[in-house]
Amino acid sequence: MNGLKFPLCRPTLLCLCLLWAVVQPSAGFTQGSPTPMFPALQTEQEVLSIHAATDRPAMEPLIRDFQLLNPNTRVEFVEYVTNDLFAAANKACQDGRPLGDVLLSSGVDQLVKLANDGCARSVDSPETQTVPRWANWRDEVFGFTFEPVVFVYNREKVPVEDVPKTHLEIADLLRLKPETYQGRVGTYDIRQSGIGYLLAFNDSQQTTTTYGRLLESLGRAQAVVRCCTGEILDEIEAGRLLIGYNMLASYAYARVRAGANLGLVMPADYTLVLSRGAMLLAEASNATAGARFISYLLSARGQTLAQREAFFFGFAGEGPTGLEGAASIVRTGIARPIAISPALLAVQDDERRRRFIADWSRSLVDMATR
Amino acid sequence: MARREPSLFSRLIVLISLVLLAGAAALTTAAWYYAREAANDAYDRLLVGAAYQMAEALNVQGGTLTVELPVSAFELLASSERDRIFYKVVDPGGRTLTGYADLVTPESDAPAMASPAVLDGRFKGVDVRMTKVGRYFSDPSVQGRVDVVVAQTTEARTALARELTLRAVALVIAMSALALGGAVFAIRYALRPIGRVGAVLRDRDPHDVTLITVSTPRELRPFVSATNEFITRLKSRMDLMQQFIADAAHQIRTPLTALKAQLQLLSRQPMEPQALQYLTRVQERVDQLSRLAGQLLSHAMVNHRAGAVPLEPVDVVEIVRHAIREAVPEALDRDVLTSLELPPVPVTIAGDAISLKEAVKNVVDNAIRHGAPTQLTLRVRQELKTVEIEVEDDGPGIPPELWPQVTERFGTPSPDGSGLGLSIAADVLAAHGGSLSFRHADENGFAVIMSLPSETGPNS
Repeated sequence: MNGLKFPLCRPTLLCLCLLWAVVQPSAGFTQGSPTPMFPALQTEQEVLSIHAATDRPAMEPLIRDFQLLNPNTRVEFVEYVTNDLFAAANKACQDGRPLGDVLLSSGVDQLVKLANDGCARSVDSPETQTVPRWANWRDEVFGFTFEPVVFVYNREKVPVEDVPKTHLEIADLLRLKPETYQGRVGTYDIRQSGIGYLLAFNDSQQTTTTYGRLLESLGRAQAVVRCCTGEILDEIEAGRLLIGYNMLASYAYARVRAGANLGLVMPADYTLVLSRGAMLLAEASNATAGARFISYLLSARGQTLAQREAFFFGFAGEGPTGLEGAASIVRTGIARPIAISPALLAVQDDERRRRFIADWSRSLVDMATR
Repeated sequence: MARREPSLFSRLIVLISLVLLAGAAALTTAAWYYAREAANDAYDRLLVGAAYQMAEALNVQGGTLTVELPVSAFELLASSERDRIFYKVVDPGGRTLTGYADLVTPESDAPAMASPAVLDGRFKGVDVRMTKVGRYFSDPSVQGRVDVVVAQTTEARTALARELTLRAVALVIAMSALALGGAVFAIRYALRPIGRVGAVLRDRDPHDVTLITVSTPRELRPFVSATNEFITRLKSRMDLMQQFIADAAHQIRTPLTALKAQLQLLSRQPMEPQALQYLTRVQERVDQLSRLAGQLLSHAMVNHRAGAVPLEPVDVVEIVRHAIREAVPEALDRDVLTSLELPPVPVTIAGDAISLKEAVKNVVDNAIRHGAPTQLTLRVRQELKTVEIEVEDDGPGIPPELWPQVTERFGTPSPDGSGLGLSIAADVLAAHGGSLSFRHADENGFAVIMSLPSETGPNS
């Protein structure tokens, strides 16, 4: 990570774009963003309040289906980015006041931390018993999706021989073809995105050497960092970026379904698998509806619908056809599910997080912005 | 016996159950205590291990104390799946470097070299086990002890302790059930001699005054010997009584004989018909009295012999012949045709010849006196296990409703009988293990059957 070797010529536009990304604290949603309402299908008898750091379009079919089963429930849906949701929920929990009934977040480490601090309430139903052990902690935090973490690339602009198959290959690609990929690789800004931090942390836990090389390559290639998957995918679709690193397969596949010419790669060395977390809050004002909703998400009906409409993958690794390496990752043991367990507390340790992000920033952002 | 005393069995069972219950409760408490110790011990090792790992991760970099908490420390603690983990790292200045600042630092007075103490505590409203590991730094910039405090909730410990206790309790219950079952068996076995003594006493013949010889455990011997003492006293009383009756009957017979002779003389005197009639009645009464005296004597003799004379092989046919010979003079008075249907060979049983002859005589006497207008038949029959002596007459017999009474002493006071005859026969038969029964013959006839066990029978 020697800055002197860094290539000096780079497009000004890209630099500005990067600066904007760094300066803008939260490019997506701000805290307590507009509350989309799902009015009750019949006479309203109760309100279920969901605070989520997961995109609404994915959740919408699930909520609507839930309302078919509970026609008297009005659902309130408040959107955040992961870190904001954690901050809001943590504050509410410390103050002992409710922040809705159910939290949905891909930042499962944050949910584990909240549950560890006693902010969660357990849900015990036949459905919650069907969840794999790694996706359930204390019957309080449940993983309800199975989302491989993939490389996404623009099929038009990235030639087949360039498509990286492993983490090491993407590092090598960036090092060997700097002229093509300089500033054209995107990934999460882990300072803003809880999920980006969680994925980067798990990368660092998998193989330290590969992670070091990858971080160095990303830094040299002046990788673009963004708060959210959506923005990176937008830019890859538009051709401004060529490769997205550590993207959630569900988001990317949704784009592919919508007609985008994107390619998804399940890394062949190891594929991290994130399970989006759901948690019932201890202070929930409508705990029964919350428990019902979580049970619904985990039920066969909810899972089938989610696999069809929202997240495209099931717990057994079943995925949409035509996706490179999808079904086999569980079978071949390449899948590395991020277990929902107290081990995630290490991820959430303030000091460790501060240092990890500092190292990351030094390698990636500082170098890129120099 | 105003109040019903609980049985020995229930007393013992209740007491043993109470002891077992108390024992089971004590063992369960002990099991819970040890299980909790064991569970705490097992998980405390992990807790201390995690604390050491965290302390190991402390580092001084560029003059500042840094800590990069290892994931493995949390994974170690996560082996108790449901437990929440709290920790903090405190620098020498007392500032919390990372973790839960409001976690209390346990005051441990353990010496520095010893392994860290694990204490019970509370955090965020739940019970926790917590430990503290100190690490000393003597870096120019960081000097003093850095404390790593780790706490963990107790769900896994409680679950393990509960499981261990439940297993122990299952064993305790099984053992108690076994002990109780064994106790039931043992008590029943131990109390069996009491039942045996009771049965021996119950099954005794009312006239049996021999001593109880059943073998008993030591504990029951005082009871048996007291009973035997009582029987001895009773026997001497009975002997005395029978002796008295025999003496009295004998003493009465002598003046009666004299009286009968005087009456005989008197009857030869000429007298008025009215006086003759009175005299005849007196003679009848005197006869009756002398027969009663004779029967009393016979009764006393039979009873005396029943307990005292050993049974010997005797020929029933011979006995019947003797009996009829002695009874016939009276039969002749009444002009009754007496016939004997006896087997040609001797029929031998174990018995007392004198008593048996007395019995047959009494039955024959009874038949002549009350039945038999014209005919009397005596039969001896050898049956499979018994020998039967049948005395049949052609009189009206005894109505069946009176059968149970007639064998009792003075059960049926008859105008010219004493009411002792059949009871003497019944006593003799009982002493021989036999019985007395009655039968109405087809036409005009009535039979008294004396059954005696034959020599090959069980009671011979």
